[in-house]
Amino acid sequence: MVILKNFRVVILVVIIVLVLILIRSSGIYHFKNNAKRWAEPSFSQANIITPEKVKSLPGNKLIINLDKKMARGIEIDGDSLKISADSILNSNTAKTILRNNGPVLLYSSQPDLTAKIWMILSQMGCKKIYILTDEPYNEILKYKFRPDTLTSNLL
Amino acid sequence: MKFKKRKMNTRVKFSVGLLCIGLILALLPLSGGRSFKVKPQQLLSEVLDNNNYFTVDQVAGFIVSEDSTVQIIDLRAPEEFRMVNIPGSINIPYSNFLNTDPVIFLNNEKIRNIFYSNGDIESNYAITISRGLNIKNTYAMKGGLNEWFRTVMNSSFSGEKITVRENALFENRTRAKKMFNEMNSLPDSLRAKFIQTNHLTTKKLDGGCE
Repeated sequence: MVILKNFRVVILVVIIVLVLILIRSSGIYHFKNNAKRWAEPSFSQANIITPEKVKSLPGNKLIINLDKKMARGIEIDGDSLKISADSILNSNTAKTILRNNGPVLLYSSQPDLTAKIWMILSQMGCKKIYILTDEPYNEILKYKFRPDTLTSNLL
Repeated sequence: MKFKKRKMNTRVKFSVGLLCIGLILALLPLSGGRSFKVKPQQLLSEVLDNNNYFTVDQVAGFIVSEDSTVQIIDLRAPEEFRMVNIPGSINIPYSNFLNTDPVIFLNNEKIRNIFYSNGDIESNYAITISRGLNIKNTYAMKGGLNEWFRTVMNSSFSGEKITVRENALFENRTRAKKMFNEMNSLPDSLRAKFIQTNHLTTKKLDGGCE
């Protein structure tokens, strides 16, 4: 008791630090540490998924539709949320996404939009998040370059 | 004697306090990795801004005019970069983007860094990461190299009349196409030399009447 009384200031400071750390780490509206770790699936494109492969994913699927209309052939069983990209971080939406037990599937006809939203949500700690697309070959060069041998010969 | 004891007490308390805070920090799952520095909402509104893009025509213009305020960054794999690339671009594969600190190659605030890959996805990941790390001068070439081929490399004109604007656009594309063809037809060893030669030739041609 005497020790506690003697160290009350120290204990108070430690408790305050501990509470602040707990608040900071338990809140969902902040980015997690180590950006590389959370971006890892995007390096190997493991975060891009087609409707056929979605069926094999376990858990309750949550589809986030960033478009006004879902494209044909993309319909998947699961909870669906239609929302514009700029309001994806509204408290209720963010909570629903970050606390979903199963995979979260982001869909938009604009691949650049889904890429940005994926990175933000992933950095916030959303683990099972995927980009749902019917065209998984966005990052493949569709044209072939034919070298201009005449020009190079002239040089 | 009383004073000495009190002084000692303060020191002990301070030491115990530091020890406790040190223990908390040691037990926390903190890593030395880089983390996003801006707030999620701020990052969201920043990356959704349409001013983060340059069209392929704008990029073609930068190349033709040899704009020194622009750094074009190819995010594709080195083997893809070696096969074909936009003249003047540097290769930083997206898979290695966070292996080193991106600030090292994006630190010049006077230079606009334009990312491109084959499509739109990797360049937008790169924009989001760099903006999250509070690097503001980053942009993406809309549509990537696929759009470059579709618009610049396959540009052609058929018809009798052409407006001034269309003519300027067509000329810009033709010049960029020529540079792209010349550059990518050369063996790797000659590419660096070619840039220097081309720079001098253009200067001489653009001289006009004095």
